[in-house]
Amino acid sequence: MSSPNLDDEIENLQARVTALKSQLRIQTSTLLASPSTRQLIASDTTLSGQKLLSRFTSQQAHNQQCLYRACAGLTTFLARDPDPNAVDGGSILGLRIEVVSRAKFLRPYYVLLNRPLPGSSYLRVHRHTIPACIPLAGLAARYLPAPSGGVKQDLARFARALRREAVRYHHRLGAVADLRKAAAEGKLASLAPADAEMKQISIEWADGKTGRLVIGDDGEVVNVVAVGDNGRDRDAARELLGGAARIEDVAKRLALA
Amino acid sequence: MPRISIPTTGRLPSSLRVDPSNPAVSKILNRLSRASLISIALDWLDENDPSLAAPYLRRAEDEDDSEDENDFNVPAQSLGALQELYANLQSRKGSKREVIDRIVEGDWRHGLSLNQLAGADLQYLYDHPLSQRWTAYRIVPLKPVNPDADADDDVTPTEDKQSLSIPRLHPATFLNALQSQVPPDVKAHYTIDRHRTLPLLLLRIFIIDSPYNTSLSLHSSSSSSATTFDTSRTVYIAFPDASPHVFISKPQSLSIAPGTAGAGIGGESKSLRTLIVEGIPKALSRPRQRVTLKATGLVTRNINELLERKGKQRTNAAGGGWGVYADEKVKESPLDMVLPTPPLSEEDGDAEGTRGGKRPLSVVERREERKRKRARLVAKARFGGSGRVEDGKGLERVDVVVEDAFPAAAEEGEGEREEEEDEDEELQPYVRLTFHGSHVFAGIRQLVEHGIIDGERMPGWMTGEEGVSVGAVRNGRIRGYKGSGL
Repeated sequence: MSSPNLDDEIENLQARVTALKSQLRIQTSTLLASPSTRQLIASDTTLSGQKLLSRFTSQQAHNQQCLYRACAGLTTFLARDPDPNAVDGGSILGLRIEVVSRAKFLRPYYVLLNRPLPGSSYLRVHRHTIPACIPLAGLAARYLPAPSGGVKQDLARFARALRREAVRYHHRLGAVADLRKAAAEGKLASLAPADAEMKQISIEWADGKTGRLVIGDDGEVVNVVAVGDNGRDRDAARELLGGAARIEDVAKRLALA
Repeated sequence: MPRISIPTTGRLPSSLRVDPSNPAVSKILNRLSRASLISIALDWLDENDPSLAAPYLRRAEDEDDSEDENDFNVPAQSLGALQELYANLQSRKGSKREVIDRIVEGDWRHGLSLNQLAGADLQYLYDHPLSQRWTAYRIVPLKPVNPDADADDDVTPTEDKQSLSIPRLHPATFLNALQSQVPPDVKAHYTIDRHRTLPLLLLRIFIIDSPYNTSLSLHSSSSSSATTFDTSRTVYIAFPDASPHVFISKPQSLSIAPGTAGAGIGGESKSLRTLIVEGIPKALSRPRQRVTLKATGLVTRNINELLERKGKQRTNAAGGGWGVYADEKVKESPLDMVLPTPPLSEEDGDAEGTRGGKRPLSVVERREERKRKRARLVAKARFGGSGRVEDGKGLERVDVVVEDAFPAAAEEGEGEREEEEDEDEELQPYVRLTFHGSHVFAGIRQLVEHGIIDGERMPGWMTGEEGVSVGAVRNGRIRGYKGSGL
């Protein structure tokens, strides 16, 4: 009979249920976050009141964690290794690195460290979610060397350096994306990153010239080369750059042109 | 065929044509399905460079003379007509034989270029993604060697662990450098192709033992045109995007009779592989910036799994249960104040909901149910989102050597029955485990889910989180491989 209609109706209702449930969750956490709620809950000594109080406490902890994560950008946490044979009883120190891209917090990067040597505070990277284009291994060798070398480990510097690399990488990624968008309606036929670290961008002009734009760690233009039919074409390179010192300026120039 | 051929160190040109009667041609073509054959034939007809894949066409002026009565595959007059012909073949049903005959005896009777054969071979790889066995290597930078110390010459460069540079690949430069590594009595043909669906750059190397790079290399003598193809090898090298790794396939022989020379080929292909493993880092190196390849202990046919473990995503060093940290679908913004639910509690709620309508369970049943649920949760905690049968990321073989001493408790009970050497009163049997299957770790996960393996006492390497397919276990952990490979 009206089964498609009925299906639609069920689907709509289910969508509403999900929406209302998430509404409820948001309202609950907002209510629990306000200090006046605490006084109300504290005066309640019944079982449900106690439950609410524990929920209130965990909400408070969560809010504090969010605050630190949003402001510091680099936080630590403790975790457990589920492997029964794990070193150090499975204790794990986690580093959480926040990265903001396009006005949004991305999924944080995690580095999980353990202490493989008994009785020593020597830390080693156990697991991590850092992509291959960020030189984690080199940073770990520099700041968290094995104890045999006699060099002290410096977790704070390691974490800072790693966060810096991650943030730089995402800034370059964003800048290259902007550049591509700006170049889409111009004289450039194509523009694509040519390496993992987003430091080299290969360019093709509509008239067949090809080139490379090399940028540094922080997005400063290091070099630009254009090669046409008659060898190197310095005019084209100069025209592309127009005195811009940073990749963002190049993108702005292209967008205006 | 040119009358004089001089041995060179150049590569085999892509336009070099192989006689269609060569058994290697039919071997390559016969492996493909009818649909794939037609689609590559259409690709060849689309080729812009006529030297690479031009078909045999009949010109209008010589239409009347010498029309071969027995020619079933009448040559077409134009590219357009031929394209139409193959499009027709595509739309109707028929045998594979018909298409192969049309290609070999009709439109490419004057020979298939090496480029065409490479295309057909690559098509086979796309059709059968598990047909190659890949070994993953990591590209690591070497410490620059002091030029003054070169006089002593025996300085082997060591790995530069502190280097912050990520190796970069420029395909054309790489090929030129690789060509210079090839010995002069061997000729190779190279094809570079972007993988159609995966973030990979594929390099196919076709190697034959011949000093010539003309058609002479393909016909060493008039009596047996297949001799040089008998010794030919095909190797694939895959470069994942944005990741300092390289996957090298096992060299495959085009030998027509593999049984006769089986033993010799095994050793030869091994030495060829060593040649490649030595040649690639030299070709990837640049002045003052040398690299080397380091084995990762991961060998598999499944290229999806390789990309998961050695690709550009976050999952490289967060396998098994650690995958919860790498899952990009999970939103975890610090601006979201809603109290998160722990990952394991979600399933709890679902299970409760589905049981609502059923009759109340007896005590025994309830205990069973609880046990099952517990096993499922443990499996989820240990494996995370990994190890699912349908995820297409299965290792087909995992070899593990256990170097741990025999557990003391068990030793007292049945120690005498084992036959192994005692050293320092510590029983250390040689235990070697090999797991086989279409998806080894999914199988282990299923065993955990069904309560056959105790998920809480199971060692970590059984979840596949180490990302290796070959390893030695000491103290319950994969030795040498320090979790993240650092």
